[in-house]
Formats: sequence, C-alpha cells, structure tokens
Amino acid sequence: MSRAPGMAAQLAKFALALRKEGVRAGLADEIDAAAALSLVDLLDRAEVHRALRIAFKVPREAWDAFDRLFAQHWDGGGDERPKPRQVPPRDHRGPVQWRWDGERVRLATAETEEPPSGDRPGYSPEPLLRRKPFDELSQRELAEMERLLARLALRLATRRSRRLVPTRGRGVVDLRRSFRGALASDGDFLRLARRARPVEEPRLVVLYDTSGSMDPYARLLLTFAFALRRAMKRVEIFAFNTRLVRVTRMVVPAAIPKALERLAAEVPDWSGGTRIGACLAEFVAQFGQSMIDRNTTVVCVSDGLDQGDSALLERSMRALRERAGRIVWLNPLLGDPRYRPEAAGMRAALPFVDHFGAAHNLESLEGLMRLAA
Amino acid sequence: MNEEIRATQAAMERCGYVAEPVIATAVFLAKEMQRPLLVEGEAGVGKTEIAKVLARMLGTELVRLQCYEGLDANTALYEWNYQKQLLRLKIAERERDSTGHEARDPEKLEQLIFGREYLLERPLLRAIARREGPAVLLVDEIDRADEGFEAFLLEVLSDFQITIPELGTIRAEHVPFVVLTSNRTREIGDALRRRCLYLYVEHPDFDKELRILHGKVPGLDERLARAVTRFVQRLRGRELRKLPGVAETIDWARALARLHRHALDAETVAATLGCLLKDEQDVKATGQQAIAELVAYASGEG
Repeated sequence: MSRAPGMAAQLAKFALALRKEGVRAGLADEIDAAAALSLVDLLDRAEVHRALRIAFKVPREAWDAFDRLFAQHWDGGGDERPKPRQVPPRDHRGPVQWRWDGERVRLATAETEEPPSGDRPGYSPEPLLRRKPFDELSQRELAEMERLLARLALRLATRRSRRLVPTRGRGVVDLRRSFRGALASDGDFLRLARRARPVEEPRLVVLYDTSGSMDPYARLLLTFAFALRRAMKRVEIFAFNTRLVRVTRMVVPAAIPKALERLAAEVPDWSGGTRIGACLAEFVAQFGQSMIDRNTTVVCVSDGLDQGDSALLERSMRALRERAGRIVWLNPLLGDPRYRPEAAGMRAALPFVDHFGAAHNLESLEGLMRLAA
Repeated sequence: MNEEIRATQAAMERCGYVAEPVIATAVFLAKEMQRPLLVEGEAGVGKTEIAKVLARMLGTELVRLQCYEGLDANTALYEWNYQKQLLRLKIAERERDSTGHEARDPEKLEQLIFGREYLLERPLLRAIARREGPAVLLVDEIDRADEGFEAFLLEVLSDFQITIPELGTIRAEHVPFVVLTSNRTREIGDALRRRCLYLYVEHPDFDKELRILHGKVPGLDERLARAVTRFVQRLRGRELRKLPGVAETIDWARALARLHRHALDAETVAATLGCLLKDEQDVKATGQQAIAELVAYASGEG
C-alpha cells in the first residue's frame, strides 16, 4: 500500500480541527493515527473512519463532532468548510501567577492589587464580613472574602481513602512488611507493621443557578466555587438556567470579574428564567456516569424557583440521589427568616437532599464546612 | 476492507463472537500496534467478552484482573507466600539447632526465602512473566479502581516490567495483549486513555443481536428469536434506568425456550420480564399496557 503524500500534514490539520471542537487530540494521537492508517485500507472510507476514531480515542460524546469533521476533511470538502462555532477563547492555561501575601500563597488577580488589610485603623473585617450578606459587599471586602472562602474550601477536603498505606498507629496488619521485620529476629514477629486508610480528597460537583433571582449572590457564590477549584483537584462546576453549561475549565485561572463576564457571554439567558429539572436531567444524562460516585458531594446552589416541570426535577434528583455520596442544596433565600421552601421546585427536590442550607453570607457557608468535616 | 481485518473478524466469529467491523478493526489495530485496547460502553454490551474471545482466538491464556475500590498494587502484582516462608524459616532453625551451628546469617536466610518459588503471582505479574507466549490480560472495570492504581497501571503498561525489591526486575518476554474495560462510572484519566487505543461498544442492532442469539442459544426457534430480538430492541428505546444488554437477551431467550414457547404472549412476557429488567422501578414502569404494545410490535413482523 502506498502512502498518500501529505498524509501527515492532513492528519495534523485534522487533529487541529478536532482540538478546536474541544476533542483532545495531541501529537501522540496523531502518531497513533498515522500508524493506524498505515495498517488499514485507505480506499475504504468507512474503515479509515473507524481507524481514526479508534486511534484518536474519540469518546462517545464527541462522535457527532468527529463525524462532521471527518466528512469535511476526508470527503474533499476541504477548505471551504463553514467557520467553526464561535467559542470564546479558553483561559490561558499556562503557568498561573501566584503571590505570597504574607499569610498564604494566592492567585494574583487584578482586583487584589490593593493591600488586603484595610487602611482604616482598627478595622477588623472578619466578624463583620461573616454576617454581611454577599450582595452588600464592596470590592475590597470581596477580596478579603475570597481569602476566607479559600480557607473554608480547604477544610472541606478530608475523606478517607479505601486504599491502605503504611501507618505507625492502628490499622490492619501488613503481612509483607511485618514479615520483613521479622526476618531480622529469626522469624519472630516482635512488631507488626500496619496499614490504614489515608485521607483523600473528596470529589465535588457544584451546580450553579444563574437565573435572575440569583443575581445578587452570583459573584460570591461563584468565588466560593473558584476557591474550591483551587483547593481541591476534583471539582467540577456547572452553571444552569434554561440550559446547562460546564464552566469548570472557564473558571480555573481567570480573575473573577473576567470569568463572570465570560460566563455571562457563554451561558445563555444569564440572569433569565430557570428550568432546574431539565438542566439537572441533562447533567445526569451527560455527566452522571463519569462524574458522580459514592465519594462525590453534589452541591446545588439555587433558590429552587423552577419554571419547568417539577416531576422532571424529582426524577433527576432521584437519579442523583442514587449515585452521589451526598447532596447539599444551598439556597440564598434561606437567609431570610420569613422564607419557607414552598416553591414547587424546592419542594420536589427537598426529599433527596442531605443538607439544606442557607448561602447568603459566609457564616452560612461555614455551616456547610462543619457538615463536611 | 483490509484483508487482515476481515480475517480478524472471521476468526472472532469462529470463536463465537459476532464482531462488527469497528470491533474487528480495533482488535486488529491494537494487536498490530501492540497497544492496550480500552473498551467502553454500557453494561451488557459484551466488553469483557472481547478479551475472552481474543484469548480463545490466539489460543493463549486469559489473565483477568478484576478491579474494585481499594485495589492496590500488591493485590494486582504479587504477594509472598508467608506460610511457606515461615515454614522454611522454622526448618532452617531446627537444622541449626540440631547441627549446633551458631551462624545467624539473616542475609543467607533472606536469599533462601525470597526466591521465585515463594512468590505468588497475581494477575499483572502473571501476564508479564508468562514464558509460553503472550497472554491476554483483561483489566476489567478499571473505572472501579482509584486513580492511584490507574497511574500505577499506566506505568506497568508502558514498560511491561515489574520490579520486586527482593528479586530484581522481571521483564516481559512477550508483551501481553491488554484489554481494559470501563463502565464509565468515572472518567478514565487522560494519560491512560492516551496510552490505549479506544473502542466504544454500543448495543447491537437487530441483525447482530439475532445472530448472537442464534450463536448462543442453539436450536432456538427462528420466529421466537426474531420476536425476542425485536422486543428487546424496542424495549431499549424506552426510558429505562438499566437497559437490558445482550446477556439479558440470551438469558431471556433461554428461559422462553425452556418454557417451550414459540411466540411471545403478554402473560409469559410479564412472568419472565425479570430476565430482562433488573431494576425494580424499570419493571414497575413497564406495565401491562406497555408489555402488550411491545409484544404486538415484536410479533408484528410477517
């Protein structure tokens, strides 16, 4: 079989197009693809298609995109292909800028330029901040709040793993290491080595309501999610209102205002109405399998004012309940003593929730931390 | 189609596996490129079966590593046979006592009991140390193991060598053919995914399922087989929490054959629905009316 000239170049172009669609395709995959193509019948379109999908390791969700691109690149569609969908530029994922502020290393963001401690003498922000509703915070208080939130987020991160690692304290007997020790004393077990479960980071999925009724809290609650993202490795963040959008990648290293802007651009109907049930159903269908397991805490941040079908919401919550380790529902409205969870959506969701809490100020979020400890 | 892929497909077929071109292509490429094959798909689509058929096809041993939460390197690699080692030590002690020898040489003792014959091979070591030719290594449900184990596995699959501190490094004489399966209860790490070739298996279409059925349930009435297949295919279109896989179809067909049925009727279906639906809510959601519709559809063919 003769190699078509320019095959490598064509593959590179194809891989680039895949990447633009959000399908991961690195150089190693291009090499794999080239190797695979050398093994199949290049005149058989279906076979080339199969081989490339195997070699580029295209997951099921990306098949549609792959098929479209394949048609463009291999069926001579060539260069007059339609412009790819306007995707807002991804965050710069290069080295993140960290700064030491005397207490901890923090991510450098535009708005923390001013010193974190107040210039007014005798100003002790923390106790006040803890109770102040998020929607009344000033720019500087926000920066301070971010620091507090990050500290809280860290505390959320303790769970025991199932794997066993050597320990000096209690634990199950580790025969292998005990035996090694016993050798020195002629096979007498003077001391038993033990293993125990190490502390492991939990997995967290934050589902974040961005509808109009949530606007006043958007900023800080997202800050909280950002802080979590920084403190824990396994955090996924989704925004929803009438549609569901995965925003984990978007929020990683960016300064918060910029990210909020981008979110507003990316999430349809930012500050619009909500269809919680439909969005949760979409989440369960798309990501439930891969993201939710028994170690996962699902945090839903929403006021429960659902404009959709509450039976659907109930079904989705049931499905979540079955997979997730814990479900937390944070409702900013709960901060108002007059509030009763009577909205149809909230009522439908509540039976499946492990912890139903307020989320209007820092104190309420601290309650959540105690719960997680 | 490439001749060799066609041959692979035929060989798999001979071993009792109805392989679509995409599966045959993936198996062929993985074999030629000497890369692990990561197989994903819903439960019951025959992921594990691929490895089994491969072992039969290549006439080699199937080494299976079933993953679970908390699985660690020891369990997957090797373990020392402590009882045997202890026994050997006691014998050594007795020998010394009887001869009156006073040499207490731990190093000698160590050499004595950390030999290959005191080593219990676990699946990974077994697959790598096999002398008689490459084995088929099945790492089943990798998504159940934790990420730490995944990283460890990646290392093993890259080097195909295992270092045992007491023995030294054991290198694979024949690189095993590796099949990993995942039910996607969590996402497999990117590094491991990149290391493998990737195959996503879907539920079979009507023709394939019918052929599988005939292959697995010999002597099955053709009319019944068609009705069963149509029924299950239609059933998968409903909103269920656990879709029936091919294994369920086979179970059901066997049950029906055992009951000497030649056609589907609502009563029998209702009584045997447990073969197909393993979730209480799914059974409840498939009531009399739904069954009647499904039966009518399944038997509707000429």
